[in-house]
Amino acid sequence: MPPEPGLPLIGRAAEEVICHRAGGLVTVGRLLAEATTLAAQLPAAGHAVNLCTDRYRMLLGFVAALLRGHPTLLNADASAHRLQALAGQYPGTYLLADAPVATSLPVIRVGEVEAAAGHIAPPLLPADRIAAIAFTSGSTGQPTAHRKPWGALVAAARAAAERFTLRHGDGPPSSILATVPPQHMYGFETTIMLPLQADVACHAGESFFPSDVLDALAALPPRRWLVTTPLHLRALLAEGRRPVPLAGVISATAPLAPNLAEAVERDWAVPMLEIYGASEAGSMASRRSAREADWLPYPGIRMGVEEVEVPGLGAVPLADAIEPTAGERFRLLGRRADLVKLGGRRASLAELNRLLAEVEGVADGVFLAPEDIESNPAARLSAYVVAPGRSAEDILAALRLRLEPVFLPRPLVLVEALPRDRLGKLTRAALRAMATP
Amino acid sequence: MSAGPMTPTTELPATRLLPEELEVARLIVSALSLEVAPEEIEPEAPLFNEGLGLDSIDALEMALAISKAYNVKLRSDDERNHRIFASLRSLTAHIEKNRAR
Repeated sequence: MPPEPGLPLIGRAAEEVICHRAGGLVTVGRLLAEATTLAAQLPAAGHAVNLCTDRYRMLLGFVAALLRGHPTLLNADASAHRLQALAGQYPGTYLLADAPVATSLPVIRVGEVEAAAGHIAPPLLPADRIAAIAFTSGSTGQPTAHRKPWGALVAAARAAAERFTLRHGDGPPSSILATVPPQHMYGFETTIMLPLQADVACHAGESFFPSDVLDALAALPPRRWLVTTPLHLRALLAEGRRPVPLAGVISATAPLAPNLAEAVERDWAVPMLEIYGASEAGSMASRRSAREADWLPYPGIRMGVEEVEVPGLGAVPLADAIEPTAGERFRLLGRRADLVKLGGRRASLAELNRLLAEVEGVADGVFLAPEDIESNPAARLSAYVVAPGRSAEDILAALRLRLEPVFLPRPLVLVEALPRDRLGKLTRAALRAMATP
Repeated sequence: MSAGPMTPTTELPATRLLPEELEVARLIVSALSLEVAPEEIEPEAPLFNEGLGLDSIDALEMALAISKAYNVKLRSDDERNHRIFASLRSLTAHIEKNRAR
């Protein structure tokens, strides 16, 4: 058999729209021409950290890096500390940014780029070329890297396009507005990879607050899709304004509470779809949450009990316990072990407890996840701490240096002792009893 | 800077909040269940990251609470956004300027 010739960098025609910017729309041909110019300004070898918050510039930088053969590090953290850590790990790290960054690393500013002349055909990339590296942060902010071969990214985009009817011929072209950053795996898959491989254009501007999102949706042509999170959906519903007609709303990063899913379907008269995914494996399955409890795997995805088989990636361990149901479908039983997920970040309670115990003056202490952590998007952890002579502020200040902010306890309660049993164990019941006096 | 005969940096004690700042501080503390007394928030300290330690989850909660209480809609494409969120003082000033009375 002849060797695999590779997969196209862009699987679309030159005249198709790939992005909606404030100044007008951008076609595939225009993107390629601008990316060709930008690629010529990049170093000969290296790794790109693409910090652009404008989604078109993120896309442009990603394509330029690919044209140059460089992987993009999916990292949105612009702190000097984090950037130095990346530079220490990845040779030739440089930054692509659309705003000033305080750093000693080389920065290529992505602004308005001149288009290169002539027709440029999208190249074929080898399926095993590492195109992006995603990171999961964990409780301490010590990130783990997950390498994404081009073949896996393209397969995932094609599977998502099939699932959500975003392929050519499935209907009119779609436009996607996302409230998640393109440096997050979910945002990257939906607003960078889908526009490159499906009949989809992304919205470029930043949309975070409810007013931004509603106004930006109104400015997009139909079939519009909103790609978001339970946290944003809750804020959007509370805002009370009904969005323009949408083709669908997609949520991921945390389980969507049934009442939110039902409110979206009822108040906005739109299918509320949910994706099950993880940075390690990418998107794996979806469901229409208000109507079905079971998840349907994406085409090509094979769910095992402990791991998932992902096209282009192989077997990836699962963070959740699952139970197969009818057909290929499955149900999520909850997180394995003691994992909690907040604000799209995962941590182990055991690890958090260990870090708490390391704080000077802490004699004993425990983190507690609220009962509604899976359904309340704004849920926070609490902590019960025995620390004679120290104040809650002292301990919080020490934790702030060790933890991702989202895991800081609210509240942190000082107690005289924890309700440990004779074996020194803390039972869930005893902790709950203490938490609700 | 104007070189007029101004008293150089009028000495409000750093911790004293104006009445409207205290009101916004109370709103934030209750909306976000923060572990801090509203009176103790430094008016000029950053709200996010190192200062009050707020994060993006808080930003959305705060936007909701402010929208309900003052009918002021926060926006992320606002050029002055970084300045608005810089401190309790700047946020309060933004609300006061835009609130529906």
